[in-house]
Formats: sequence, C-alpha cells, structure tokens
Amino acid sequence: MAQAEAFETDFWKDANLRKVWDDIVPGEPRKTIPYTLTKEAIELYCKSVGEDHPIYFDEAYARTTRFGGLIAPPSIHILLMFSCTPADDWMRSPGTVNAGQSWSYNIPARPGDVITLQARALDKFIKRERLFVVHDNVFFNQKGDVICSGRGWTIRPM
Amino acid sequence: MTATFDNLSAGDVIDGPKFAVSRESIRLFCDASLDYNPLHLDDDYMKGNFGKTNFGGIIMHGMNNFGLISRMITDWAYPVGAVHRRLETRWVKPVRPGDTIQPTGIIKAKQTTEKSRWVLIDVVVKNQAGEKVATGEALVEFPRDLFCQ
Repeated sequence: MAQAEAFETDFWKDANLRKVWDDIVPGEPRKTIPYTLTKEAIELYCKSVGEDHPIYFDEAYARTTRFGGLIAPPSIHILLMFSCTPADDWMRSPGTVNAGQSWSYNIPARPGDVITLQARALDKFIKRERLFVVHDNVFFNQKGDVICSGRGWTIRPM
Repeated sequence: MTATFDNLSAGDVIDGPKFAVSRESIRLFCDASLDYNPLHLDDDYMKGNFGKTNFGGIIMHGMNNFGLISRMITDWAYPVGAVHRRLETRWVKPVRPGDTIQPTGIIKAKQTTEKSRWVLIDVVVKNQAGEKVATGEALVEFPRDLFCQ
C-alpha cells in the first residue's frame, strides 16, 4: 500500500522525541503537515470499516447527488489525524489510549483535497491516577473551508 | 416507511451493521487509518500493564467503533436527504479479535431551530455477548430543502 510505505509504521522509532504528559502545554499548537487525500486512501479507509455507499466509489452516481461528485465518509478524519501530523507527534506515543472523541461535520472531504490541520492540546488533567490530555482539532480544505472539527480525550502512557 | 423528520418518533430504532473483528480487520484498520499504535499490533507489548489496566492481548482501535457508528448514521441519513452533523463517543469496554460488534441508534429527540431541523440519536455498540463496548450520541440535520438520493 503506497501510503503505508511512505509512512513510518514503527511507532517505537523516535518515541523518545515525543512529548510526554509533563511536556505537553495546553494551548500550544501542534506541528502539522498538509496532506493530499486520494481516492485510493478513501477506498482503503472505506474497506476497513465496511463502507459501501456508492457516493464514495461511483463517480457517475456521485455526480447526480447533492454533493455533485465523490466524497469521503465523515469519519475520514480518523485517517487525517495521522496523515496531517509528523512522526514526532505525541498522538503516536505507543500506549496512547483513546478514551472518547466528539466531532462536528461541516462539509465533506473530497478526493484531491489538500487538507490542513490546526491542532493543539486544550487541557490536561489527572483522574483516577491516569494522565489525560484533551486535544482539539480543525481540518480545512485547500479553499480554507472547515471540513470538520473535533476533540478527543486520550490517556497518556506512563 | 421512509424516515422523514415528521414521522420520526423518540424510541425509533436504527439497526447498524454487524462487524466481525479479527487480527486481519484490525491490521487493515491500521493501514487505512495510519494508526500503528502497538496496542493494536503487538501481543507481547499488550501482556504488560497500562497503569491499572491489563488488556491481555491486542485490542481493536476505539475509532473503528467510531467509523462503524458513522457508517450506520450516514447509511440511514443519505437516502432521506439528511446530513450527519455530529458524533460523540465513549469507549466502555475493549474489543478483541473474535468479537462481533454491532451499533444501534435510538431516536432520542427532535428539535426545530430558526433555520433547520435536527434529530438527536443515542448510540450504543454491543458485542456478541450483548455487552456495551461503546456509547455515544449523534446529531443529524434534516434540511428544509431535502435532496433525497
């Protein structure tokens, strides 16, 4: 898979470069990188969760819909979170446990979109001896339109 | 009967897709999401403790639940011209290879605002033993200019 080959899949590599809970400053922007979303990446994501609606695959069908062309499923931000962040981002720290997320959807991402991310830790706290960080994210397309925005609660590795 | 904003009632049920979880499905989700956290790949690593938690083996990505719930919502919304606007989830219990999970939605409330119409949906994902593995809430918009597909 082309995208996986270009992406460091060993999350232990450079693990020492990533911020631990103590280093994370709420409010400080995370480094992000633009990402061109491809039809192939959308199709692979769809396969992984069993998405089979033609709006994601069938260009001729998609043109007849309110969207006017192919789109990605709303939950494509799951892929965008990792594709728009560099290898030293703390979201990749081995043992990071996802406790829950909330996302709001504005317009769909589409194949060919160049996606950018504005992201930060928003809050950190300790609860029942666990180290939590809340992260806050907004994805934009190349026109500057908001695709979606969301927040996640992670438990940091100790 | 096709769902319309007017004929929906609190308590109406949306049946989501069953999803068989395997080492292969988890690996595919790694490749599709680029989330290669060893929680989902490395059995030896998962023998260790995470604070007070021991998972005992690899677990499915929580966001795989999220993607499955989102699929249920859009597959319900697209044919009636409605738009998936929000999803909030909490993971309740780990999901492991060999589990079969299924999301369900239950209409909770309807609300009309100045410019649109909204449906709140309670969401639960259960495993084959009927145990809750995730809970959440979705918000679907029924625009006044419905464009049914």
